[in-house]
Amino acid sequence: MGTTVHSLARKIWQTLAAIKTGVILLILVVIISAAGTVILQRPATDADEMQRAYSPQVLRLLDGLGLTDVFHAWWFVLLLTLVSFSIIAASIQRFPNAWRYFSRPYKSPDETFRKALPGHVLIPIQDEEAALSVAERVFKKAGFGPERIVHPSSFSLFGERHRFSEMAVYIVHASLLLIFLGGIVDALYGWRGFLTLSRGQQSSQVESQNGSKRALPFAVRCDGAGQENYADGSPKRWWSDLAVVKNEQVVLRKQIVVNDPLVYRGVRFYQASYGKTGKVDRLLLTATPRDGQGAKDITVGLGETLPLDADTTVRLAEFIPDYVVRDGQVYARSNDLENPAAHLVVESRKSGQAVNFWLPPIEGIEQNASSPYAFEGKDVQMAYFTGLEVSHEPGQWSVWAGVIVMGFGLALVFYFVHARVWAVPVRDARGQRMLWIGGTANKNKDVFEQRFQKLVEQIKSELKISPEAGVEAPIAALAGK
Amino acid sequence: MAHVARVEPQPAATGTTLVVMVGLGVAFLLFMAFLNVVKSGHLLNESNLLYATLIFYSGAATLYLAFGITGLPAYVRYASLATWAGLLANTGAIAHRWYEAGHPPFSSIYEMLLMFVWTLAVLTLIAEKKFGVKVIGTVTMPVAIVGVVLMQLLRTEVHPLVPALQSTWLHVHVTLAMLAYAACALSFALAMMFLIQDKMKTETFLAATSLFTVATYLGVLTRFEKWGGLSVIAWNPEEKSEVFLSRGVRLFVVIPDLGWLLVLVLAAVAAPLVLYLIWRKTQDDGFLTMANRAVFLSILLQVLALVFFVWRARSGLYGSLDAEGLFPTNLSASPFILSGIVGGIFVSLLYLLLLWRREDLERMLPSADELDRITYKTIAIAFPLLTLMIAAGAYWANRTWGSYWSWDPKETWAAITWLVYAGYLHMRITRGWRGRRAAYFAILGFAVVMFTFFGVTYLLPGLHAYA
Repeated sequence: MGTTVHSLARKIWQTLAAIKTGVILLILVVIISAAGTVILQRPATDADEMQRAYSPQVLRLLDGLGLTDVFHAWWFVLLLTLVSFSIIAASIQRFPNAWRYFSRPYKSPDETFRKALPGHVLIPIQDEEAALSVAERVFKKAGFGPERIVHPSSFSLFGERHRFSEMAVYIVHASLLLIFLGGIVDALYGWRGFLTLSRGQQSSQVESQNGSKRALPFAVRCDGAGQENYADGSPKRWWSDLAVVKNEQVVLRKQIVVNDPLVYRGVRFYQASYGKTGKVDRLLLTATPRDGQGAKDITVGLGETLPLDADTTVRLAEFIPDYVVRDGQVYARSNDLENPAAHLVVESRKSGQAVNFWLPPIEGIEQNASSPYAFEGKDVQMAYFTGLEVSHEPGQWSVWAGVIVMGFGLALVFYFVHARVWAVPVRDARGQRMLWIGGTANKNKDVFEQRFQKLVEQIKSELKISPEAGVEAPIAALAGK
Repeated sequence: MAHVARVEPQPAATGTTLVVMVGLGVAFLLFMAFLNVVKSGHLLNESNLLYATLIFYSGAATLYLAFGITGLPAYVRYASLATWAGLLANTGAIAHRWYEAGHPPFSSIYEMLLMFVWTLAVLTLIAEKKFGVKVIGTVTMPVAIVGVVLMQLLRTEVHPLVPALQSTWLHVHVTLAMLAYAACALSFALAMMFLIQDKMKTETFLAATSLFTVATYLGVLTRFEKWGGLSVIAWNPEEKSEVFLSRGVRLFVVIPDLGWLLVLVLAAVAAPLVLYLIWRKTQDDGFLTMANRAVFLSILLQVLALVFFVWRARSGLYGSLDAEGLFPTNLSASPFILSGIVGGIFVSLLYLLLLWRREDLERMLPSADELDRITYKTIAIAFPLLTLMIAAGAYWANRTWGSYWSWDPKETWAAITWLVYAGYLHMRITRGWRGRRAAYFAILGFAVVMFTFFGVTYLLPGLHAYA
């Protein structure tokens, strides 16, 4: 029993590590994500539009299969998890080999290796010691940092560059896993919501996409919000002055604009929308007493009561930005400041009399004639709301770390070549002293080939050997990558 | 714009004759342009610089084409000289626009084309000087010309940036995208050249080019409406923007009868494909000859389609199926249909070039092995750029929308592109894929890039409404 479990686990492991599995999984990811961009997705598309786009049967089928929210379906998450495991398994399986290669460089090539290596030359020499010194100098100048490998009777040379690039591919894979990790953390512990505030308002309740509320351990207050336009009227900038309030104290203030959020305790507030509430913020009026003496300007907010003189007060009871009158009633047609009407209540303390003053006078309900004051509208400031996108993404740091590591990893993978060179004194079949020089690179082999040839030329010229001398192995076999 | 790519210098002419002729042509055009400029009084404004760019690039393209056909190295020397001059004017145009707008020019299709053309010219010079792929200009310079001509048709007003686009990260993102896409385009061209050098049959190229044009016209004809009309997006000439019915829902107007014409052209571009399939079945070479003639005919019809499309969609009031009344439209509202039609013509012309001058081309191009290696190297440049492009985009999205990844179609397709190229690299490095299979993979990669760039914006809904 134990062995079957063991062999099953091994089988699963090997299947995961196989490159074929990886490719099949990636093809599946590609097909499914492509499908997710073609089929309309919830909740980005609202329910009405979904019903318009698909017939009820099709919609039920798509919903049942999870195809209307592909990227959050459990099977898609499972697929991505399988991809991660496949990357891990493949990396772990190949790692020991690469590590051996990395940690125990092959320094003294034996005869089989010397014969099999595609890029090598044999040049005739007089003196081993002198020839090796020349080779050492040339290798050193080319940045290969040669070391002398001592054998019982002689020594040979080994030099290399950028050995770490052998490990680069693991760095890239690890960075991908870091990004995935961040994504998983955010999928599990992250959240998004929306918060609407008008000036002076404060809230700690964030509304999430499904309508539920989330309470924050602090509150956010909007101290102001606005829009700036270009000369042609298109919006240039939206801004909101926000204050974070904790235990009745302001702990942080910031003006946010699009692209520059407020961050507090990992919760970020973004400027997402800006618009009219349809409510008045401030109404500027000129109040003139009946006798026409001592007119003055007053500013009044909705529901606010202001004294006009010792006896009389005025209150802004209603403000309709775009009014219509139907059957003797006043209705709001829109939230735009198109056709405003203000309802003021003028009260006298002595007589206890309240008069409805309408600006403009609306027939049937206005009592403007009996008011002790006449009012004239001068200016109105409408209230605006600022819409804030709120998000908490604890996994994002893992994602950014992964991105940076991946940048480094890819640079190492593509632009750093592990190149190795050897120089070994040998004797040919006739007993003539020869210097065997070999070189190999793990990528960009054509570039290395030229470089290697240049090294050989240099050694030859320093040894005063004509370029034609020496038996050159066919280097063309090197060209491949 | 087609006439430039169709210039067919006689191979018999000696090198100097053509160089002198092109030189005189460029000088004449510059002189005429200079007379106009003197009259208007503005010397170095953007449209003049762009016009100079067009003239020099056209000269370069003609000389590169002449080189492609005759193989005389003298042409390349003058061609790269013309490319340098065009690049200088192009840089000037970018600088002028940047200065005038106060932000780097990445915010509209027009500005992105400006950058794309510039990148293409730079990469052409790099490929030529560093890698010795001299014939590359034969393909890239005509593309650059098409780009400049498209720009002339699109809007040129400096448009203020909406708040979401006011970010350095956007500029980083778009620059990287343009660089990565240009590198992908180059790898595609190199893979195609590899297939030519790898003795792939000319007939196979016929099938591929016909398939491309058929797919393009099928894509365009998704906008076919009842009674033979073609819907295009309405354009508001005052605000210089597309007309929206509601948030994210564009208003379409129907240009009558244009649909039928495009159906006719679809039939014309499908004919070579059908004839090719019959040839495959019967092995009767008569059908192949007919197919090649059909390509020639289809080019004439495609040019006709282009002329009619430009004529009808350039301006004019048309009815809509979704709203009452007549609405204006403009070529700026249909950049994708326009590029589709122009692309179809260009691809068909390239096929004719291959058909007629294959042997010369084979002599001109580097060896198959060399091309295979350079293709890999180009992708080794494109892939890190793609990675950084996605990362910069994610960072920008995170600062603007509060989420670094929201699976919107553009993002998803960028990820798919990345995966395809990652697949290419794995197959090449671990499985030793070389030659044809690798070339097919590189071509597939570029097809996905094109879909991400054009298809997603055109066919799929999403947040990337700006590009």
